[in-house]
Amino acid sequence: MNGARAASAWLVVVTMLAAQDPIAAARADEAARVAVIARCSPAVCSVMAMDAPGGGSGVVIDPAGFVLTNYHVVGEPDKEHVLPSPPKPPDAELAAYRAEGARTDADVAAWTKAWQQRWREEHHPRGVRHYRNKKIGMPDGLLYEAVVLGIDPGSDLAVLRLLPKRPGQTWPSCELGDSDQLLVGETVFAMGNPFLLATDFTPTVTFGIVSGTHRYQEGQGQRVLVYPDCIQIDAPVNPGNSGGPLFNAAGEVVGINGRISIGDRGRVNVGVGFAIASNQIRNFLADLLAGRHTEHGTLDMSAWFMAAAKDENKRRGVYVQQLFRDSVASLAGIGLGDEITRFDGVEVRSANQLATLVGVLPAGAWVTVWHRPVAPEGGFGDERRVTVRLSALDTGSSMDGGGENARLASRAERRVATRAVTSRWRTDNEDAPAVAWSAVAPDGSTHRAVLAGQRLRVERGATVLVDLGDGTGFVVEGERVREPTADESERLRRERLCNPVLWPRATRQDRLRDALLVGGVHVHGAPAYRFALPGDGECEAWFFADGEPAGCTFRDPLRRAKVERHVRGEQVRFVVDGKLEPGWSGGPRTSGAVDEAWFRRQP
Amino acid sequence: MKTTIAALLLGVALPAQTVDFGKAYSFAERAPRTQTERAIDALLPSIVKIHGASGLQTISAFASGVLVTAQGHVLTIDQIMLQPGRTRVVLYDGSVHEAQLLPPDDRLGVRLLKIDPKLVTAELRPLWPAAPTPFRTGQFVVSLGNCFRLAEFSEKVSATFGVVVGRADTALRYRMTNVAYDGDVILTDACNNPGHQGGGLFALDGRWLGLNMKLLESKETNTMLSAAIPVADLLPYLDEQVHGKPRPSPVAKTEPAWFGVQLFEQAGRQSPPAYVERVVAGSPAATLGLRNDDLIVRFDEFSIRTCREYRDVLARFRPGQRIKVMWKRGTEVMNGEVDLVAEPRR
Repeated sequence: MNGARAASAWLVVVTMLAAQDPIAAARADEAARVAVIARCSPAVCSVMAMDAPGGGSGVVIDPAGFVLTNYHVVGEPDKEHVLPSPPKPPDAELAAYRAEGARTDADVAAWTKAWQQRWREEHHPRGVRHYRNKKIGMPDGLLYEAVVLGIDPGSDLAVLRLLPKRPGQTWPSCELGDSDQLLVGETVFAMGNPFLLATDFTPTVTFGIVSGTHRYQEGQGQRVLVYPDCIQIDAPVNPGNSGGPLFNAAGEVVGINGRISIGDRGRVNVGVGFAIASNQIRNFLADLLAGRHTEHGTLDMSAWFMAAAKDENKRRGVYVQQLFRDSVASLAGIGLGDEITRFDGVEVRSANQLATLVGVLPAGAWVTVWHRPVAPEGGFGDERRVTVRLSALDTGSSMDGGGENARLASRAERRVATRAVTSRWRTDNEDAPAVAWSAVAPDGSTHRAVLAGQRLRVERGATVLVDLGDGTGFVVEGERVREPTADESERLRRERLCNPVLWPRATRQDRLRDALLVGGVHVHGAPAYRFALPGDGECEAWFFADGEPAGCTFRDPLRRAKVERHVRGEQVRFVVDGKLEPGWSGGPRTSGAVDEAWFRRQP
Repeated sequence: MKTTIAALLLGVALPAQTVDFGKAYSFAERAPRTQTERAIDALLPSIVKIHGASGLQTISAFASGVLVTAQGHVLTIDQIMLQPGRTRVVLYDGSVHEAQLLPPDDRLGVRLLKIDPKLVTAELRPLWPAAPTPFRTGQFVVSLGNCFRLAEFSEKVSATFGVVVGRADTALRYRMTNVAYDGDVILTDACNNPGHQGGGLFALDGRWLGLNMKLLESKETNTMLSAAIPVADLLPYLDEQVHGKPRPSPVAKTEPAWFGVQLFEQAGRQSPPAYVERVVAGSPAATLGLRNDDLIVRFDEFSIRTCREYRDVLARFRPGQRIKVMWKRGTEVMNGEVDLVAEPRR
């Protein structure tokens, strides 16, 4: 990437020099284009099924070999399990087992069976259905095997992982860009393997402009393959381009080309192609890497746009047209005919836009909807604000409803994904002697946690729990100092284990070594990764893609409830047993000097 | 003890209580940077979406238009969907307005619509064609229009990019039944699709070059072309309709050439061979000596296999042109040469 930056800096200089001379300027433009294409093409690949004709394209988004493509390129999982049989245990391990004592043949057989069971659990996904391996052709001319990790039939995405030909192999990759920065008229490149033209897998490059942004394109049949927020381009996109990347002029992946509008000329390009926006992809990437079948969020209602120019009494706006009685929207107090004015702070200007805003969010995301209820006397009441958690959209896909446990990726694949995500984090050690976070509860009491070295202090209103890290601790309750109960010790242990805010930056990757990526979560409007921590399986630490803590979830023994803590910057939310506790306001995470008084046994 | 903790959090004010969950999404846009981005950004408010009467499968009920005056005049391609009382114009701010239909120009195939500017709350950003607006083959252009009705209400219409491919004359009309205009057109490779017609074709500096036509379509070669009517040709019509100026040199509608035969066309048959049923006395056909039941097979180098082809080929010629005619009488092939005329008025 540094090379790329240097190259672009050089090009800026050339461009400035060329400002006087249009021919030189055009040459500089061309040189910049050629340089970007040369840098991006090695990451663009062809995705093919093992034993079926046809195929699509894809792009490597991580050196560990994670490939982003369309769901319609990988298709439905096979109906039968076609799982490889476990190998024989390695001789060295068998010899070590035999060396432990006298072993009969029956012992060895039982041990081998147990070993192979462990191998299965490690290498086989737990999903009900399974994908046969795919083939991926890379521009280096080689054909690799690849496994499907996660699928998103709802908005036509899938993630595959290239299987290395030699241990530790990495691949050229491209970064995801910010699709919200795209503007109509901006130059973009589409790459891929249209009509499977390139048998040596060098990608075809087409050039065009952004024709439109935030386009909503309905799905097919059931609610699958919806393009809720796509980028419309006039760069030619043809069959086989599906799943290929859309690059901006800087060579960042800003979309995945997935469909085209066609005229009367059959299924070929007419200059209207659509790419799934990279910012939407980010919302689902954690789930895809974690081997899940993603779930899209829904309010379970539909809205329509009413436009009236003549009749002054009728306002122009978006109104609720259909609503399920048990939907999250209805339960939150949104009624039929209500006007929807804002969604997550964005002014809603059309029903299409509302569909876009909801469609890019995963199930479980908390959103704020502003609405004006229909008044009984006619007209509309004052604007109200409700906060709801999006329910899961039933896409009609055969993989719906698998839940947490149905996964397409094995534990081994997920461990690679875990490492790939965490290895992108900054690891420079800027940690202060103490880290702390705080929040103000609805009743006005302050909740804080401070970690200084091994010592941890948790303040819950008037109660203070302290763990000195040497196996001892105490509790201060008003004027009273006492030993912690079992529940209180457990609470301290969980705070220490689960709360990533208290994890010094330098140790984050180490602490997640034995953790496993389990999926994504939407924290205060941004996607974050959930890591299950080893132990009872109830502790998760959450991080944003850049390695900033996003919160955690654990079973709080004192509240006897499952607590989710959402943290972003200065915002804090608590979700207790699935219900949002309103009224929390966040304090920042701060580092500072350690005061020895915090850890002294005194009231 | 609390004070010491407060010291740790020194200088930090807790934010006011809110229930917002942050902005999941931003529809805010960055400022345009390149020339193309700036041009499109400046032009988009002048392009409108037009919705008209629908009902027939073959008629698309949406198109685009260009706002040409602050009084609410909108220029678009004349088409069947533009029906009185059923035509609505959607401005860039998403407001929907009933449009009145002004008289069309049959030769250009364009029509002005008018919306009531008093009902518009947004600022109207009209474009008036500057004449002359020269264009060159190879020049970069952007084409704006609502292809496939992708944009609704305040959503932006689509922009496509390309070059001027060339200028083409009326020869293009050969077997293109959907084109009324018979002047020169600007051909471009900036993609044009259903719904794009009525939008504008612009140079990268924002100059208005042409009004997007319907996709030119040749059934014979199964090819399609994107084209636009040069704005200079639209000015006389606009001046006449908007400013009430009489046209400086009204262009007479070109009269079709007349051969003077009536063909035998059975009802229900799509395209029977061009058998002559009746020859009008004094017509070029009569001069050549054509008779009932003769089969017309050729005009100049164009072979004529059907009645429809006879009409299409005849449309290529103008009164006064001399053509070679070949016809069959029984098994005999006959040839002749004659001057075409305009149909005599009754």
